[in-house]
Amino acid sequence: MNSIIEDIRATARQLLTDGKVDVVIGYEKGSLPLSATPCFVRSPQDTDKLIWDETCENNLAAFSTLTQGKKAIIAKGCDSRALVVLLQENQLVRDDLYIIGVSCQGVINKKKIEAETGEILEASINPGKITVKGMECDKEFTFAELKDASCQTCRYPNPVLEDIHIGGLIEVAQQAAVFADVTEMENKTDAERQAYFKEQMSKCIRCYACRNACPLCYCKECFVDCNSPKWLTGGVDSAENLFFQAGRVLHLAGRCVECGACSRACPQDVDIRALNRKMSKDVFNMYHHESGISVEGSGALNEYSADDPEAFLVKE
Amino acid sequence: MKISKEKFGQAFDALAADYQIIAPVSEAGGVNYLAVKSFSEVKQDYLNSKLPPKSFLFPQHEKLLTYKKEGKDVTVKTELQVEKSVLFGIRPCDAKAMLLLDKVFKNDEYRDPYYYERRDNSVVIGQACNKISPSCFCSSMGISPASSEGSDIFLIDLGDSYQVEVITEKGKALMAGLQELSELSADEQALVDTIKSAQTSSKVDVATITAKLDKMFDSPFWDSLHEKCLSCNACTFSCPTCHCFDISEEVHKNEGSRVRTWDGCMAPLFTLHGSGHNPRDKKKARWRQRMMHKFNYFVHNNGDIACVGCGRCIKSCPVNLDIRQVIDGVNNAELVVD
Amino acid sequence: MEQNPYIPITMKLVKNMCETEDKLINTFTLAFLNKEDEENFKYMPGQFAELSAYGQGEAPFGIATSPTEPGIIKFSVAKVGCVSNALHLMEEGTMVGVRGPMGNYYPMEEFKGKNIVIIGGGFAFTTLRSMAVYMLDEKHRADYGDITVIYGARNPGLLLYKEELAEWAENPNINLVTTIDKPCDGWCQRVGFIPTITEQVAPSSVNTYAVVCGPPAMIKYTLPVLEKLGFPPERIYTSLEMRMKCGLGICGRCNIGPKYVCKDGPVFSMAQLKELPNEY
Repeated sequence: MNSIIEDIRATARQLLTDGKVDVVIGYEKGSLPLSATPCFVRSPQDTDKLIWDETCENNLAAFSTLTQGKKAIIAKGCDSRALVVLLQENQLVRDDLYIIGVSCQGVINKKKIEAETGEILEASINPGKITVKGMECDKEFTFAELKDASCQTCRYPNPVLEDIHIGGLIEVAQQAAVFADVTEMENKTDAERQAYFKEQMSKCIRCYACRNACPLCYCKECFVDCNSPKWLTGGVDSAENLFFQAGRVLHLAGRCVECGACSRACPQDVDIRALNRKMSKDVFNMYHHESGISVEGSGALNEYSADDPEAFLVKE
Repeated sequence: MKISKEKFGQAFDALAADYQIIAPVSEAGGVNYLAVKSFSEVKQDYLNSKLPPKSFLFPQHEKLLTYKKEGKDVTVKTELQVEKSVLFGIRPCDAKAMLLLDKVFKNDEYRDPYYYERRDNSVVIGQACNKISPSCFCSSMGISPASSEGSDIFLIDLGDSYQVEVITEKGKALMAGLQELSELSADEQALVDTIKSAQTSSKVDVATITAKLDKMFDSPFWDSLHEKCLSCNACTFSCPTCHCFDISEEVHKNEGSRVRTWDGCMAPLFTLHGSGHNPRDKKKARWRQRMMHKFNYFVHNNGDIACVGCGRCIKSCPVNLDIRQVIDGVNNAELVVD
Repeated sequence: MEQNPYIPITMKLVKNMCETEDKLINTFTLAFLNKEDEENFKYMPGQFAELSAYGQGEAPFGIATSPTEPGIIKFSVAKVGCVSNALHLMEEGTMVGVRGPMGNYYPMEEFKGKNIVIIGGGFAFTTLRSMAVYMLDEKHRADYGDITVIYGARNPGLLLYKEELAEWAENPNINLVTTIDKPCDGWCQRVGFIPTITEQVAPSSVNTYAVVCGPPAMIKYTLPVLEKLGFPPERIYTSLEMRMKCGLGICGRCNIGPKYVCKDGPVFSMAQLKELPNEY
């Protein structure tokens, strides 16, 4: 891990010194234990701030469209897929982007730790082990226990588009896309699913952290802000909240790269992923499409071919 | 004086017959303030709630009026029905925050009847913090983990009993139901002394921040601070002193209601004019507004910093933008001389 | 429950008149339904009210009438969004909601004994009309010195209150100068942008106050002219626009620095604005 950090810093330093980029968007140590925070480095001396570990959970592609000038971005597999979708959708200019690719084993979900130890006081990450001192108790976890749900189903740990690769490559554990979590939800009765989502959506406070953390939600006026027509009221009951979440998921159909940034951003632990995963499964089954794999490609709903399934249009 | 939790619980349950009681309850993901019917539902021994109890004085969605149109005529009605409430287990930070909100919802010309109807009809039973989170910094914000400012009755958890202190007349009236109070033992008194002298380990220096910010509106300090901010409202909605709201209408054919809903200055369209002009369309301007409002404008208007050091914004921010680091940054920023 | 400042009174829309050639600005005349409502609505020039189009919402508009015009109040509204569109479409006789009067007002006390030059552009003339009518009223005229009005629009069709303008042109108690941006058939008054015309016709700044309302660009270029003519910032007043909701200084939306435009404004002197952050 250490040599990766050194290489990231050296690469960033070189890029800034040579004037190849105006800014390097990466991660630095956060103010809370086991936190990383996005950082924007503009001078070679500051590159020593950059870190890389299992706490680097933000999708930095979310900052790419808002940052002016030429930028280098540290990209994990999912982040690079988001950059590909942004390029496909003409939101980014390839020449303005320098992608520093790093392969990723997954990020830690701190909420899993806090559920057992209470608020984290101190923590250290060692190979395969995370040792935590918490307000309630101390505990040692394996990385596997803390791996974020999105990372558990990840099939693209290696960046799909990059200008330089730091560190090694990771072998992909699963060859075929699996949606066991979605199937489990689909197998519930209507009543069970309805109760589940009603409970989840009642937690949502409509802070829009999920939407804003998503690199692909870049509309200047989101449908929730539109008042002509007015799609949503300001109400925060579970029905309104579900309308927002489902609406956002539908707008991401064929685009979502399943990075999990939305779920991790949510301060209320709403199971946002459940809806996104269902959408990904449907898109995969209908169109054999996974978003953001190649720049030459296009969003699933941006293309049409004569043999696209029409079960929802034509009675078979 | 102290009362056993058993006796207290009985009085609590009796109160529940006449009052709506809001108390901390354990939920998946943390503790939140909810309506309870019995002391047995109340969570003991926790740090603080995920969301502040401000929603009981200032709900996230509140009807201001209802109307019905008939041809060219309209009838407008307003009904606010508020139950007598007891807000139980309120921490010093949240109790102080309510005092700050009191200044928002009333000024030299107007008084918000919705907020004050709820406020006047609720009694605050505050509680000291026996354990202190590393992200709390209330000691730097003019209070402490055992401050009774803003509480009508103040409790300190002694394990199997509470030390009880009456702070206000409102509290005294509610206390009348509490019987069988006894003296604290020497050990219990020692515990109380320890709790009362505790400070948060995390500290910030706000002694000169308002004066410094007076000169910093055009400072380059704001240029980079905002970059990682996502412009969501996670900090705003988890903050016990944030109070911005939107007013809109919910319509069904000829009837509808005018409602107010929480809003936040971090949202990009918050200040968008009908003409299309937006004074704060840049994230930089919005983050500067947040800091200036809490640490400067509010001080000039109301004499207090609009932050109580509860740390919720720090914990809820998806990008770990830490207000303590911003305060340090302001203190260390060089003043650009014109 | 106590007095509730969120509840509008109901008023009747008695006249909905298209004010400008481009049909974008209408003037609404609203009548008080009873004497008590009118008694409770004591206002001064410069104040505004929140108009409710029930079903769409509320928006703040400057009051164009003067308190010397009893029984009614008038607003001139540009069609820019949901609420203004709904108001434009209203038939006469419809009941609307009004909350007000809100905000501060032009310092009519301070203006006593002084000359006033009123400078307005486009449809920012609403509260300036209120002030001019107030001063011209026989009860007040003697309180003030010379009154000059400099009012301009892009073309003649976009000038508001054409009836009042015609009357003022003949009125010896007021000196009216109107101007349009570019020459136009049938127009024999001045031609030129407000800053230029102001420089040409503004009265002496000695013992004179200036009140300027208009689009930001107009204000930006008129202020240096006024300063050049010797008007100090304490004697230049303006009225600001801002996105508002509650109008009471509570919801937090309309602030400039520590001041709320709805409650501490919308009227500010340039001296006051210099103390505030440049964010509006």
